[in-house]
Amino acid sequence: MNPEIGHYALVLSLAVAILMTVIPIWGARAGDAALMKVGTTLALVLAGFVGLSFATLVVAYVQSDFSVLNVVENSHSAKPLLYRITGTWGNHEGSMLLWVLVLAIFAALVALFGNNLPARLKANVLGVQGSVATAFLLFILLTSNPFTRVIPPPAEGQDLNPILQDIGLAIHPPLLYLGYVGFSITFAFAVAALIEGRIDATWARWVRPWALTAWAFLTLGIAMGSYWAYYELGWGGWWFWDPVENASLMPWFAGTALIHSAVVMEKRDALKVWTVLLAILAFSLSLLGTFLVRSGVLTSVHAFATDPSRGVFILAILVFFIGGSLALYALRAPMLRQGGLFAPVSREGALVLNNLLLTAAAAAVLVGTLYPLALEALDGSKITVGPPYFNLTVGALMLPVAFAMPFGPLLAWKRGDLIGASQRLMAAFGAGIVIAALAAYAQGGGPVLAPFGMGLAAFVVIGAVAEVIERAGFGRVPRATAFARLRGLPRAVFGGALAHAGVGVCLFGIIAETSWNAERIAGVKVGGSFEVGGYELTLDRLEPRNGPNYRDLVGVFSVRRGGVEHGTIESAKRLFTARNMPTTESGIRTMGFSQLYVSLGDELPGGGVGVRAYWKPFVTLIWIGSIIMALGGALSLSDRRLRVGAPKPAKKPKVKPDPASPVPAE
Amino acid sequence: MLLWIAFSLMTAAAILAVLWPLRTGAATRAAGTADADLAVYRDQLAEIARDRATGLIGTAEGEAARAEVARRILRATAEIGQEGAVSGGDRRRRLVAAIALVGVPLLAGGLYLWLGSPLYPPQPLAQRLEAQPNPSDIAILIRKVETHLEANPDDGRGYEVVAPIYARIGRFDDAARAWANAIRLLGPSAVRETGLGEALMAQAGGVVTGAAKSAFEAALAADPKDPKARYFLGLAAEQDGRNAQAAAIWSALAADTPADAPWRGLLGDALARVGAEMPAPAAASGPGAADVAAAESLTPAQRQQMIRGMVERLEARLAEQGDDIDGWLRLMRAWSVLGDGAKAKSAAGQARQHFAGDTAALGRIDALARELGLGS
Amino acid sequence: MTRKGRRLLVISCALGMLGIAAGLVLFALNDTIVFFRTPSEIAAEGTRPGTRLRLGGLVKDGSVAHTDGTHVRFVVTDHGADMSVAYVGLLPDLFREGQGVIAEGVIAPDGSFAADSVLAKHDENYMPKEVAEALKKQGVWKEGEATP
Repeated sequence: MNPEIGHYALVLSLAVAILMTVIPIWGARAGDAALMKVGTTLALVLAGFVGLSFATLVVAYVQSDFSVLNVVENSHSAKPLLYRITGTWGNHEGSMLLWVLVLAIFAALVALFGNNLPARLKANVLGVQGSVATAFLLFILLTSNPFTRVIPPPAEGQDLNPILQDIGLAIHPPLLYLGYVGFSITFAFAVAALIEGRIDATWARWVRPWALTAWAFLTLGIAMGSYWAYYELGWGGWWFWDPVENASLMPWFAGTALIHSAVVMEKRDALKVWTVLLAILAFSLSLLGTFLVRSGVLTSVHAFATDPSRGVFILAILVFFIGGSLALYALRAPMLRQGGLFAPVSREGALVLNNLLLTAAAAAVLVGTLYPLALEALDGSKITVGPPYFNLTVGALMLPVAFAMPFGPLLAWKRGDLIGASQRLMAAFGAGIVIAALAAYAQGGGPVLAPFGMGLAAFVVIGAVAEVIERAGFGRVPRATAFARLRGLPRAVFGGALAHAGVGVCLFGIIAETSWNAERIAGVKVGGSFEVGGYELTLDRLEPRNGPNYRDLVGVFSVRRGGVEHGTIESAKRLFTARNMPTTESGIRTMGFSQLYVSLGDELPGGGVGVRAYWKPFVTLIWIGSIIMALGGALSLSDRRLRVGAPKPAKKPKVKPDPASPVPAE
Repeated sequence: MLLWIAFSLMTAAAILAVLWPLRTGAATRAAGTADADLAVYRDQLAEIARDRATGLIGTAEGEAARAEVARRILRATAEIGQEGAVSGGDRRRRLVAAIALVGVPLLAGGLYLWLGSPLYPPQPLAQRLEAQPNPSDIAILIRKVETHLEANPDDGRGYEVVAPIYARIGRFDDAARAWANAIRLLGPSAVRETGLGEALMAQAGGVVTGAAKSAFEAALAADPKDPKARYFLGLAAEQDGRNAQAAAIWSALAADTPADAPWRGLLGDALARVGAEMPAPAAASGPGAADVAAAESLTPAQRQQMIRGMVERLEARLAEQGDDIDGWLRLMRAWSVLGDGAKAKSAAGQARQHFAGDTAALGRIDALARELGLGS
Repeated sequence: MTRKGRRLLVISCALGMLGIAAGLVLFALNDTIVFFRTPSEIAAEGTRPGTRLRLGGLVKDGSVAHTDGTHVRFVVTDHGADMSVAYVGLLPDLFREGQGVIAEGVIAPDGSFAADSVLAKHDENYMPKEVAEALKKQGVWKEGEATP
């Protein structure tokens, strides 16, 4: 396919996005239904054109069309097909195009499935979404055009950064973008509502599914990125507090707060002003993340694109959208009607606590990420805010969240009974104590916090189960009735409980890994062995192997524990020949939820090789827990209450009349 | 042509996306916000009723929730009547249609003509490899030879053909490997050995390494008169600090060099560097015979001055006629020899500008720049 | 409790929590920031042993010595001053002589640097930003050059 088709589609997308910004909002102001509907068709067409543009770029990558500069710089004909495809978004230009594609897809989804929305709100939402698309399309076309051509075309590309040549990284940005950009919809809803000047409980109902979708994808994206860093970078760490990681964590905290406060807003018509602010913040933090990553203002392992003009452009976008929306917010928020009241001890109160802690965590991460920048700008001194800061602040803020988590769902709306809730959590509490005691026994000394944390994690998991049991009324009503009620429970309840259990599982993994992991660094000759975490590893042989565009030096280790064979681990030092760039291919062996992790260092002068080995107890629970969280989100999303809303607006009479109307469609 | 049709169809689709919804004619009232709100509230009421029926919430709780929702319903109902009807729709719609019809083609077309390269066809690699060789596409020619050599790794001729091309575009590692293969398969010859030596030298950033030196010596074994090999062996001697030996080698070479040989200038520069003089026969190109003769009767300072003058003349000529790649290379080297790194660098920069599209020339410029340590 | 009183209670709880959070942030920041220094700066300032730092510069050519499998010594230089670094562990993939490096650790009593982590540049186009700037100040490295 001709790259020029993609280029034109991209230019045309800009024209469409501009119309999409102007026409529907104008229609909404004038109350003109036809103009508002233009937003719907434009959103679909926009997604089509951006999609076409992206597809053209993918084809150029697949066909190794080296007349496209972007392909030359980031691909190589010897690369496997899969990585040629994923290479499309493994670079700055392509990833920005993907960003806009996701944005356009979300807008199209609103256009398609937003029939239950009030027409005016929908038009404004699409208009705001169009304005974001306009800004980023301009950015791409003016500073990062992926369709720039080269004459004459070289015969070979310059390869992709080998460290990015990995399946984990191939799926991680799209997931992350689905999350990041998903919050553009909640942002659009917030701004649209502010433009209209009215926000009701129903608004939360429209927004929740989008917030949940974005949140679930963001959760998966972060987990994926963490796992990628874990096995690809070869340092055995799964979270580095790298600015790029922080950039994804901040919107996650804000988004988590948002999905919770939206519940309060929907059920109780309270916290409206706050919820709208969160919706704006979640996307603002996503934009900030994009800025931090793309402008290269921060040094980070992800810094594969640094260009000052890009940075300034994105900064301008950032200032426009964040500043504009916050100004609008300041203008309109005081006009919003106050909602329902509640006592401090109540479901609402618990959710407020959750919100405060989560936003405080987001703020702490923000401060830690931006402080070095600010200080350097002020007096030029260069500092680093390292993991200790983040561990301390985020840890201290998240532990109370975890502790309060099982209580929240058991409290009644408006006025809760803390003692009653505690009684119902007795079982969970007991389980927590048992686990803590077991953990303390198992480690026999060592960090005091570890057993405590594990007990807390168990408390969270069992507490989530307890909530479901309690809701069904087991123990209070006959068993048959309880089962019937269990079946009748809305899926959102299961989803919420599942997500909470996921948090507990993840927490367990984090605490077990950080407090019990064992590390061993050793120089080993062939035939030599060493011990880590109770396992004995023997270096059986070192052998060279050749791949399509790399050479490996593979170390094969056999694993024994107490004389019993536990299989082998292969770990490699890989040299990508095109760039003469070495990477570490760690060898990982999973045993239950725990992992043995081996990475190779340099060959040593006297023969043999440097080896770094880790024993990582329960480490996989970190990612399993995250996946459970995302699944919980998906389950909630499938709740029909989130999909239902209004009947379709009556169009022409000849359209089949909806018999259920105006009774809730379902 | 097909491309332009595609562009037009795409533009038409974009315009249609605006026009289509406008066709619905006059005042269709938008579904009011209050209507949608009401529907949600009714749904909430139904939900409360369901929860009460299954016993999920108590009677009192349910009643309170019902009352709250009912209050919201009352409020929403009150708003229903307030959403006014639309007026003046037709003019507005015509305006929107006009904007779409004119604005979209204008904006998209204009921006595209500015940014795009519509006349440049796609170049998928597979197609380029299959198509008739296009002599200007050096990169692809190399690729073809490489593909051929992968299949026939014993074809010495293939290596011999591709090696100088590698060297010209600056891929010295590949050039050295190809020359070595050619020598292995076809036996040593002066051309191959000097080629190998030069490639090794370029690889080492202009230093005549031990390996390069033995290649040049092998070349002399094959052809004792080979000028390139002799020149570089002289250079090796100079780099080792044996200026006298270098002068001897170069003087002997200069004596054998015909007057119009293009490398005489280079040789003159080299000799000047080690403080020796250029023996006759005088060269036609490069420094004129009279110049050299004049140079011999001058003090070192004056000689330096004169050489500068010659170099400046060369520079002036190149400023007018910039297509002489050898001239540019000579200029770079000359400035560098005169110890004026800045000028040498600027000469390299100008040369690069002149040969911006010419990979081969750029390769040579870069190679020399590297050799002279000019940085890039 | 009145409407107003309740709202006030919720808000004051919230403010109190935010205060605690802010205090936590400040406390943690104060305790955990690490300054970036080059060998010349350390020499000029006479930084005391025991100070935690990120040391940046180039790995001096020919200075890397493996004492055994995991103990490494090398010298970090900015062409103004040198600093000897001791590190236990595996060096990163892209650690090479003559290339940019950042080591984090403390200054030992003997004036050498005991690193507990070593970062090398991540690919050939990327030089740790702090290192690039520090070197630029020393006039050792210019924008656009691959390596000095």
